[in-house]
Amino acid sequence: MAENSVVLGMADLLVMPAPVKLITLGLGSCIGLVVFDSFAKVAGMAHIMLPDSRGLRGSEKVGKFADTAVPALIEEMLKKGATRPRIKAKIAGGAQMFSLPGASAEFLTVGAKNVKETKTKLARLGIALVAADTGGNKGRTIEFSTSNWVLKVKTLGKGITEI
Amino acid sequence: MSDLAAFNNLQLDAIREVGNIGTGNAATALSGLLSRMINMTVPKTELVSIYELGEHYGDPLQIVGAVFVRSTGGFGCSLIFIQNEEDANLMVELLLKQQFGTFIPVAELPGEMKDSALSEVGNIVLSSFLNAINMLLGTQHQISVPGVAHDMLSAILDVVASIYGQMGETALLVNTELSVEGLTDGRKISGHIILIPDPDSLELLLRKLKVM
Repeated sequence: MAENSVVLGMADLLVMPAPVKLITLGLGSCIGLVVFDSFAKVAGMAHIMLPDSRGLRGSEKVGKFADTAVPALIEEMLKKGATRPRIKAKIAGGAQMFSLPGASAEFLTVGAKNVKETKTKLARLGIALVAADTGGNKGRTIEFSTSNWVLKVKTLGKGITEI
Repeated sequence: MSDLAAFNNLQLDAIREVGNIGTGNAATALSGLLSRMINMTVPKTELVSIYELGEHYGDPLQIVGAVFVRSTGGFGCSLIFIQNEEDANLMVELLLKQQFGTFIPVAELPGEMKDSALSEVGNIVLSSFLNAINMLLGTQHQISVPGVAHDMLSAILDVVASIYGQMGETALLVNTELSVEGLTDGRKISGHIILIPDPDSLELLLRKLKVM
């Protein structure tokens, strides 16, 4: 059966049965979080923008913040037949696009905070993080395929890394 | 003032006028630097969904060259001078030709020298923009050292989402285009100035402009 390709936009969160290819384009400080259960043949992705919701306003997307996206994604996986001990996670993103010597602004380092908060939330839920390609100062485009459960990370000037 | 949707047209027009004054000064400075005529478009004040920033300014995957500065003081804001990578390369070639009198193809330049020339252009454009608007508002300001990046448009614009994302789902941006024309081969070099006011300085801006 042919793979469906799904492109996730900012703050999107999605869980699909295999076969599927989940794609996120042009991640800067944002995080692409992939979770999968290769036994139940189900995979999910979230495009996380910020670390901490500090109390969601009603209409906002749960995928926007690490602290709300991680539990929502895992819950959706369990609903689709995954079991918690079998779920594995991979993450990419969290770059710092600009560094300004001598200037301090909280938003410039949001990438690192996104990585930290995502890892913390995964650990708290007992989800194994098996691979990560994070940080640096370059944007990433990512593609996860359930044909081999590999996350392809494309970085400008660095080519493709498989994790 | 966290609900951007409540801004009325008078207020958006007033903010656009700030962009107009900043852009005029930036165009004059760039014209002086390059000894060329510079065209500018009428600035737009835009309320953009933070989820659609990438698409809003064109193909989210196109490679752009961007210079970013932070301004602190009375009116806190960030500014990006953003160009297609090709235009950024042409701009660097034009600046070097102007400064040294000889044409050096950008492909033969070390990356650091290209970035240094690009950050010089960005710095002059953005600091002139900031000087004019702070003079208008009667505020003091300090500008950071510029940061340069070459990357996918949507990755660059994540920085806007991280400024506005914490307070809501909409960003207020002032967008304007400068272009260098009259190049020998009929080409044109464009660049966009995007002003990103800090969310908490919008109220001050509207008060100073007497539209609130």
